[in-house]
Order: sequence, then structure tokens, then C-alpha cells
Amino acid sequence: MPIVETADLRKVFRSIKRRPGIGGAIAALFSREYEETAAVDGVTMSLEAGELVGYLGPNGAGKSTTIKMLTGILVPTSGTVRVAGLVPHRQRLENAANIGVVFGQRSQLYWDLPLRESFALLRSIYDVPHERYRQNLAHFASILDLESFMDTPVRQLSLGERMRGDFAAAMLHDPKIVYLDEPTIGLDVVAKEAVREFIAQVNRERGTTIILTTHDLADIERLTRRVILIDDGTIIFDGPLERLRSEYGTHRTLVITLADSYPDVRIEGAHLESREGNVVRLRFDRRRLSAETLIRRAMERYAISDIAIIEPDIDSIVRRIYREGYTENAIGSPS
Amino acid sequence: MSVTVARPRFRLEPYVEFAKVAMAKEATYRFDVFTSVASVLIRVYILRTVWVALYAHNAAPKELPLHAIITYSTVAMLMSLVMDIDQTRVLHDSLHDGSIVLDFTKPMRVPLYFIANGTGEVLFHAVLMLPALGLALLFVHIDVPSLGTLAVFFASFLLGYGVGFCINFILNCTAFWTLEITAVQFIVTWITDLVGGELVPLLLFPAALQNVLLFLPFAAMFSTPLLIYVGHIPPSQYAVALALQAFWLIVLAAISTVMWRLGTQRLVSQGG
Amino acid sequence: MKRLRAMARAYREYWRINVLTTLEYRENFLMWFAFTIVYHGTALAALWVVLTAFPSMNGWTFREMAFLYGIWMLAHAVNNTFFSEVGNIPDHVHEGEFDRLLVRPLDTLFQVIATPGQTFPDELILAVVYFCAATWYSGVHVDATFLIFVPLIALGGALIDAGINLMVGTLAFWFVRVDALHWIVSQLEQEFTRYPVSIYSRSVRLLLTFAFPFAFMNYFPATFFLHKPENALGLPPAAGLLTPLIGLAFVTVAYAFWRFGLKRYQGTGH
Repeated sequence: MPIVETADLRKVFRSIKRRPGIGGAIAALFSREYEETAAVDGVTMSLEAGELVGYLGPNGAGKSTTIKMLTGILVPTSGTVRVAGLVPHRQRLENAANIGVVFGQRSQLYWDLPLRESFALLRSIYDVPHERYRQNLAHFASILDLESFMDTPVRQLSLGERMRGDFAAAMLHDPKIVYLDEPTIGLDVVAKEAVREFIAQVNRERGTTIILTTHDLADIERLTRRVILIDDGTIIFDGPLERLRSEYGTHRTLVITLADSYPDVRIEGAHLESREGNVVRLRFDRRRLSAETLIRRAMERYAISDIAIIEPDIDSIVRRIYREGYTENAIGSPS
Repeated sequence: MSVTVARPRFRLEPYVEFAKVAMAKEATYRFDVFTSVASVLIRVYILRTVWVALYAHNAAPKELPLHAIITYSTVAMLMSLVMDIDQTRVLHDSLHDGSIVLDFTKPMRVPLYFIANGTGEVLFHAVLMLPALGLALLFVHIDVPSLGTLAVFFASFLLGYGVGFCINFILNCTAFWTLEITAVQFIVTWITDLVGGELVPLLLFPAALQNVLLFLPFAAMFSTPLLIYVGHIPPSQYAVALALQAFWLIVLAAISTVMWRLGTQRLVSQGG
Repeated sequence: MKRLRAMARAYREYWRINVLTTLEYRENFLMWFAFTIVYHGTALAALWVVLTAFPSMNGWTFREMAFLYGIWMLAHAVNNTFFSEVGNIPDHVHEGEFDRLLVRPLDTLFQVIATPGQTFPDELILAVVYFCAATWYSGVHVDATFLIFVPLIALGGALIDAGINLMVGTLAFWFVRVDALHWIVSQLEQEFTRYPVSIYSRSVRLLLTFAFPFAFMNYFPATFFLHKPENALGLPPAAGLLTPLIGLAFVTVAYAFWRFGLKRYQGTGH
């Protein structure tokens, strides 16, 4: 049985229509007009235990709303949601014992307490048996390198230290599912790598199901095999990362450094993406034109001193999807 | 098909921890603690001077001789050290900065968390009442009633504290709707101090007003315990007085529960 | 000179933003206006109750105490309207804003005062209305001296208030958190100015006259206008008219302390 399942999950928000000016303000005293927005409009997903899934979407797409419904903080307007067999918003306490959360923008640690005492307090809340707590704490403290600041008040920690503390806090009670919302935001490169390694390890060694929401697509490439894309409240892609790349990563970029100066650079079959002095970037659809053909055509016309081919990265793929929308039969449609 | 899981059995332990943490945190504000206790000295001096001046040139009301009113005002001031604290401020703060969302992801009963926090804070200040009392005694003489009366006073004080706690909780709950509640809190505190008998004993109010005010919950917070202390409420009326306090406590506790339910419903349907 | 013109411009801008912000947050404004009314209302109600039961306090009646309160309220409102930001200095220190202010080519204290917020002269209007009512109620004779000196006294009293706030705010450079002290000083100011200073012992009267001149905020002016025979320290009745000068002197001392604190702040580079 899947550990997380939702069926046609919907969340509609009602907001008061603001009418401008003094007249509008007075009118609003007598009658209220509401407008309804569906932040989540029919989301169906199913996750098996132990999966590490990336949940992507532009801002306002409905990611955090979905997560809030999964964690029991928000009540759905319609549809069903079940996490580890429980209905989160109805069985909040029981569901809470099964989950861990790391919200990148906000810490769950206790601001004025030393890190060590924050953990002790959480142990008490989650009712973790002392021996298990000791084991887990020692383990996480060593992987995440927490020892050096265990006794520092949380408010004095740097962002990276606090984030590592938050990760340990989320895992102390052996949750079945962990929700990570922008966990690497604001971290430097070294810290990001440490956090990613930790996430991968936890998923690998403990079989913890992880839902990762992020704007840092390097996180996705590094960690997840499955990606769910949401836009405008609906899921537009749900499948392996490779499929996303192969179906939508149909473009490549050829970077040519010209040996001479040419006023005009044009090659049949390729689209001029940019030009900076002698460095020209050409985009082409690899289904229609092979790199070899393109290079030959380029060399026939121009004197070239350097060539490079750039594969599409997740970033540009997703950006393109946001911009152009996702179509199921990407193969065959003009680029 | 959803799995039916029995509601996890209630554990007191985490809430006790919260209270302890809150107490410890209050203790770190050494400067604040020092100034608020030290100021008791000055304020007691002022209050004594004022009453002495008033009693010097006017006919003293027979129910309240000078020593009784000085006792009343001093004890009222000590009580306010505990009663005036915004105990459930954490509720408002976490709504304000959005951290309430995280509170709800934990397996704890969130209102109990706020209550435990506030109780810890208050317990710390309750302990401070002792040095404050010591300082006050440097300037004034306070009547000490019999042990029996003291015990009843203490019970009445607890009931009154409960009433005040609920009012504070209800006010902080309005933050679910408006967020900016500071002004309203002050308004309620001042009105409470006036019509609750903290600033001036209700006995000095015009009779018609007195009769109304004595039955309001505000009087339950200050006037009732204080009047028991100075002996104005005799033992024969203890039961009635405490029963009225208990009545208000129950009513306000019910309103608090309703406010909390409505507020959290709004939160979980509207989002953060 | 150019500096003054810059200040004038900044100050005008400050008021423009204040008014706009207040109008924007209408409900908020109404709430705080209610707050002001209740604040003064409960103080006066308490005075009324007490003086109804005890009609005379050292020879002062309720009508006279109402007038006493009115002078204080006027001064306090002037402070809250024009110098309110001085009370927020500890917040500015806490947020490390002085680094930003010190870089600008304007006097730091002026910049603090001209920080826009939601200041609105509602309390001042209320105070003026109340003061007129109290003057009539207490039967004070309104002559040229009264009309000339009352605004000056209000300003002098406001300077005393601002001076106190400035001193407490300067302490923030050392103690950072001075909320409790600020609160208590405000409470004490209220309590001391509520009653005629003559009820206190001589040493306290000296303290309230020459050290922390609360007595000049309302007591001495009131004894002058009410033609009270007594006068806490045997000073000539016209002492009440000295309030503007006292206010100026006091705020100058506070300002000196402020400069000292600011210099130390720059030295330690908080």
C-alpha cells in the first residue's frame, strides 16, 4: 500500500474582493464580494515507502498548499489524502508522530535554548525512548558535525549550522515520512553538499520516504529519481527524471568561438540564442539535427577556433516547461 | 480505507518541560526583573503617601480605615505583578511570525503548549512577589489576617488568576483574525484595573455602580480576593464569593475553548 | 543654512508619510485612538472616584486635580505627537540602525525624531479639548498670561518628557534592553504627576523639582493659574511660568548625555 496517497485533492481559497477608493471601502461595509481561487485543483499522487521524490513548481503553483494538506495543517476542500493510513487533518496528533519536517525558511528549533536542549525538548514531545534518542543523536551529530555547537543557543547559530540542527531534529524520532521545504536555501556550496549527502543517506539507510520541495534544481538532479511537477494547481508531470529530460530536453546548445569576426552568423537548422563578441550560442533540436551535421555546416561557413556542446540541464528544461507549458507528446512538436 | 488509531494517551511530561523552559527564560531578563521589583518600592511609597494625605483631611469611610486601605493597595500591587503578565503572548507571537504552522506539525496539543509556557512564566514572577513584598514592608505596614482567611484568600486569588488567564487567552485568540491586538489588550487591562478594584477599592465607588461592578468578572480578579484579605467579606460570605468567581471561570473557560476552536478552524481552512 | 533646509524638508516629509500611513491603516488608527481615550479616561475616572469619596487632597479639589491633569495631558500629548520616536531609540539601537544613521549628513537625533511611523495628532486634539473643558470646569481665569504661557508650558513639559525618554534611550547603548525601565519610568511619571507634589516629603519634593522636574510639568503651573496659596517648596508663584526654561535646560542635559552615549557607541562599534 502506498505510504502517501491523494485522490483528486482540491483546495479552494476564498478571498474578499478589494474594491478601490473610498466608495469601494464604504460599499464593502454593506456587501462583500468574494473571489475563489483553487490553489490546488485536483492533485492525485501516490508514493511508495522509501521513495525520494522531488516536488517542483513555480511560485504560487500550489506546492506549499499541497504539503500543508499532507502535514495536516490545512483542511482540503475536497478529495482524499492519506498518509501512512491516516487522514492528516483528522488524526493530527497520530500523523504528527509519523512525520518530520524541515522548512527552510523557518526553524523548528527553540530559539533561546542551546541546541542540545532543543533536542531534549523534542525528545520529550515525540516520546522517543531514551536509548533510541541517544543512538540517533550520536549518529546525526557525527554525520552532520554538530558537536562543535551543541551547547550554543540556536539564535546564535549561522544559517548552515541551524539547518543541520533542523535536519537532526526532524529525524530524531525516526519518522516514516519527511517533508523538506526549500532545505538548501541560503546555504553555501559546502553546506548544500553536506545536506544533500545527509538526505540521500537517510533515505538509503533508513528507508525514510522523502518529499523534497525546492527551487534549487541541483538538489533534484543530485537526489531524486522521480519528479512531480505542479503548475497552476494541477500536476503536469509525474515520472522519472530521465523521462523528463528525454521528452523535454530535446534541445542542445552549440557554443562556437569564431576565429574571425563575422557581421552575421546564421546556420540552417539552428536558432541563434546569443552572441557576445566572437562567442556564439546556437540552439538546435537534436531530434531534427545531429550535432555532427550542425558542426559540419558551421565549419563550412565560418572559421572556428573552439567548439562546445551543452546538454540541457534540469534548470533550463523546467524553465522552459513553465514558460511554454508541458505537452504530453513533446516528440513531434516543433521546438 | 483508513486505519483507526486510538488517540495517543495523554502525557504531561512535555508540557512540564515547556513550563520549565519558560521559567528559565524569564530568569535571564535580569535587568527587567530587577527594575520591576525595585520599582515596587517607589510605587508603594507613593500609594502610602497618597492615602495618608487623603485620610488626613477627610472623613475616613468606616468600612476602610487607613491601615486597611494601605494593606489593600499594597497587596493589590503585589497581585498585579502576576496578574498583569501577558501569559499567552506566545500564541499571538507565533501567529504573527507564522511559526504556529510548525507547532501544528508536532504531536502535542498546541493550546496546552501555550498554556504551559505562560504558566512557567507566571510561576517565575510569582516567586518574585516575595522580595517585592519584603521591599514593600520597608515602607508600609500590612495587616496580616488569620491563617484561615489567608487560605481562603489564596484560593480566591487562584480563581481570580484563572479568570484573568482566560480573558488574556481570549484576547490573544483574536489574533487569529486581526493580528494587531496590542491596543485592545491595553484597553482591557486598564478597564480591568479600574473596575476590578485594583486601582481603587470598589467600596469607594458610588453605590449604584458598586452593585454592578462587584458581579463582573473583573471584580473576580482583584476585588474579591482583596476584600477577603482585608476582612470586608466575612467568613459567612466566603462560599458565595468564591462560587461567583468559579462561575466566571467556567464561563470564560468555555468562551476560551470556543475561541480557540473557531480560530484554529479558520487557520486550517485559510492557511498561514 | 543648507543643513536647516534639509531638516525642514525631511520633517515635512515625515509628517506627510505619517498622515498617509495613518489613513491607510484606518482600523489600526481607530483602535489606538480608543486606546488613548481609555488610557486617560480610566486615570480620570479613578481620580474622580477617589476624590468623590475624599473630597480634598491637601487642599486640592477634584476640579483642581482635573486641571492639574489637563496640563500634564497637554504636555504629554505634545511629546507623543512631536517627539514620540525618541521613545523608540532602544529599538533602533537593538536593530543596529545607528550605523546607517551615522553615515548620513544630518544630526542623528533629528533623524530618529523624523522617522515616520503612524503618528497622528489625535491625542493632541483630545488633550486640547480636555484642557479647555478642565479650564472652564475649574474656573481658572483666562487672561493674556494664560494664553501666552500655556502653549509654552506645554512645550516645556513636553521637553521634560522627551528628555526623560532620551536619557532612558541613551541607556540602551549600554544595556540594549531597557523596555522594563522605560515602562516603569512612564508609570512613575504618571503616578507622580497625578497628585499635588505637596503631599510628599521634602526630599522627594526636591527630587521632583530639581532632579527629575516632573513637578514643573504640571504642578507649579497649576498652582500659579489656580492661585493656590501653597507651593511645595516656598518658591514664588510665578515659578510655574519657568517651565519652558526648565524644559529646555533639562533636555539640554539629556542631549549631552545622549552625545556621550553615541560617542561611546561609535567607539565600541556595536
